[in-house]
Amino acid sequence: MSPLLQVEELAVAGVGEIVRPTSLDLSAGRAFTILGETGSGKTLLAQAIMGTLPAGLRASGRIRIHGPAVQDWPLAQRRALWGREVAMLPQEPWLALDPTMRVLPQVAEGHRHVRGRSSGQARAAARDDLLALGLEAAAGRLPGQLSGGMAQRVAFAAARAGGAGLLIADEPTKGLDADRRDEVAALLRREVEAGGGLLTITHDIQVARLLGGEVAIMHEGRLVERGPARELLSRPASDYARRLLAADPTAWPSATPAPVGDEVLRVEDLAIARGGRLLFEGLGFTAAAGEVIGVTGPSGCGKSTLGDLCLGLLAPTRGVVQRNPALARLRYQKLYQDPPAAFPPHATLGQSVNDVVARHRLDPALVDTLLRRLRLDPALLARHPRSVSGGELQRLAILRVLLLAPVFLFADEPTSRLDTLTQQETIGLLTELARERGCALLLVSHDRTLVDRVADRRIGIRPESPG
Amino acid sequence: MSTVTLSAVDTRPAGRRWSSRRLWGAGLLLLLVGFALLVPWLWGADPARQDLGRILSPPGWSEPLGTDHLGRSLLARLAAALRLSLGLALLGVLSAALPGLALGVLAGWRGGWTDRLLVMLADTCLALPGLLLVLLLVAIAPGSFWALYVGIALVLWIEYFRVVRATTAGLVTSPQIQASRLLGFGLAYLFRRHLWPELAPLVLTLAAFGAANAVLAIAALGFVSVGLRPPTAELGLMMTELLPYYHEAPWAILQPIAALFLLVLSLHLLAGREAS
Repeated sequence: MSPLLQVEELAVAGVGEIVRPTSLDLSAGRAFTILGETGSGKTLLAQAIMGTLPAGLRASGRIRIHGPAVQDWPLAQRRALWGREVAMLPQEPWLALDPTMRVLPQVAEGHRHVRGRSSGQARAAARDDLLALGLEAAAGRLPGQLSGGMAQRVAFAAARAGGAGLLIADEPTKGLDADRRDEVAALLRREVEAGGGLLTITHDIQVARLLGGEVAIMHEGRLVERGPARELLSRPASDYARRLLAADPTAWPSATPAPVGDEVLRVEDLAIARGGRLLFEGLGFTAAAGEVIGVTGPSGCGKSTLGDLCLGLLAPTRGVVQRNPALARLRYQKLYQDPPAAFPPHATLGQSVNDVVARHRLDPALVDTLLRRLRLDPALLARHPRSVSGGELQRLAILRVLLLAPVFLFADEPTSRLDTLTQQETIGLLTELARERGCALLLVSHDRTLVDRVADRRIGIRPESPG
Repeated sequence: MSTVTLSAVDTRPAGRRWSSRRLWGAGLLLLLVGFALLVPWLWGADPARQDLGRILSPPGWSEPLGTDHLGRSLLARLAAALRLSLGLALLGVLSAALPGLALGVLAGWRGGWTDRLLVMLADTCLALPGLLLVLLLVAIAPGSFWALYVGIALVLWIEYFRVVRATTAGLVTSPQIQASRLLGFGLAYLFRRHLWPELAPLVLTLAAFGAANAVLAIAALGFVSVGLRPPTAELGLMMTELLPYYHEAPWAILQPIAALFLLVLSLHLLAGREAS
């Protein structure tokens, strides 16, 4: 087997060295997965191989794609390889597809212009591709009418249309729920079994496990450990790899249910329709102080809507949401998926927190107590939301709602934008504090494993039949 | 590493960084305002006092900018015209921005019927050509300062309304406002902390452009003799009056033109933001 990709001592430098010299080989029919957190440099490595580094960054070292060393080629010459020799599966394909072009011509373009087939042949080939991916019904749709999983499959078909032997997939499962993620991983695996070379960049340990082949773990710009997937993922040798793998929800210990207090919320026969579509009906449950309730379901099933109904931010189509009348409305609070979006962007975090203290005449010492409890540096309060990391900001958001001594907290995918290690820490603190302070926690997540590990019980929302 | 450098830049609030072109604009505007306000105080000549013995005299020690065809001091007249243009523009911008801002926030915040009615009102005003509306009002009350002012304000409020409404409507459903409402904050706080920081740069940019447009509109109306009446010192009117003497006294007609050019330029520099 000839190597499809040979990378020798490839490094990326900007202000400092961001990716340390790294070497890897990839042959046809093999998968190589780089696993790492945000900021580890894994995407830059892929961009350096592709030749699409952002301005201001320089790559050094040697890159051979199917034989020739390409690292010094001018951009136009490297671009000629795209689609023919090496193809890139984009992050968030619904943003990468042309929103005004239907699916079939979008896939046919690759066959026609990259492979130089006639228009009729190209359409026929594109139709075969879509059929093989179970997308024949979607041929006439626009990207906006596709679900996330379908859009990823269309992007896959379009990327593959040029006939490239090497496929680079950068976070191919970002933003997909567990079922769609497994689907995409199976699709990529089939590509490998059919004799293609696959280089995958991901933060998702499950994806690395499903793809098999060789796995490398990247941390602070270097590959800290590499080896066959099965071995490395079950018996990591390095300290960082051990911590990273232990942070995966599948490795978490199950929570021990704590004794619960008074009922703070009762929901009976709840139904909600949005945009003329019934999301769910006949839902009923109660929440007691100190209880952790998980809500799971595929994207778009109304998980977040359920939380907003509980807080009274939306009116139900049918049914009753009853909050404990003895408790102030202010003690029903919410945490958001995207932490920076939940703070006023032009005020410092300290101002935002002090505003809450001033508004409700709270004891300012409470802030210091909570800062220590949440292991937050008080210096963060002088910064603006956009210049604080996601994990710290989410903990500050927890601090802000805890000031009001909540009895019910709706956490809407609070860690889906965070890295694995940060997610473990954040979820740990959140459930710990909820149990400690007698607050009912309604934890919405697309990750069923995570919910099963930390929640006392789980509410599953079934997807409505499509259409 | 790149995130570190980015965050170091981000800690500075966005509104504090003034580009060099905005500084130029502000400096130029300050000079013009200073000229308009200081001349009557330091020079003290009456812009309407005629001296037929000294018509169209060139700039010199006794008259730094010369005199016009009726022997009036051009220095005094130019300063008076600038005061008038700036004052009228400021008044027009304020009376357009305030209702535009208030109605825009109301429409964006409330949505539904309030929104639809206000949008209809704005569209109705917009359907009338702006300058025509001003001409109509001026025809009803010729030569009146108030007709001119009301006409300009009526045309200008709509753009504030539209921009503010669109921004507000986007923000109302945002997590940041929802979070603050859940935390028990009232409308005044939401406006101060969430809406105004987003709206301020837009409204202030529009205000600078609006002021430039108002200055031009007043001058255009003066030039075609439907705006303010002589002997008021007004830039457009001065151009019309001095036009017949452009051959004998080119420096005279150039003065109101240069003043108008610099005033509009300063406001545009102030309004424009450098592409990042």
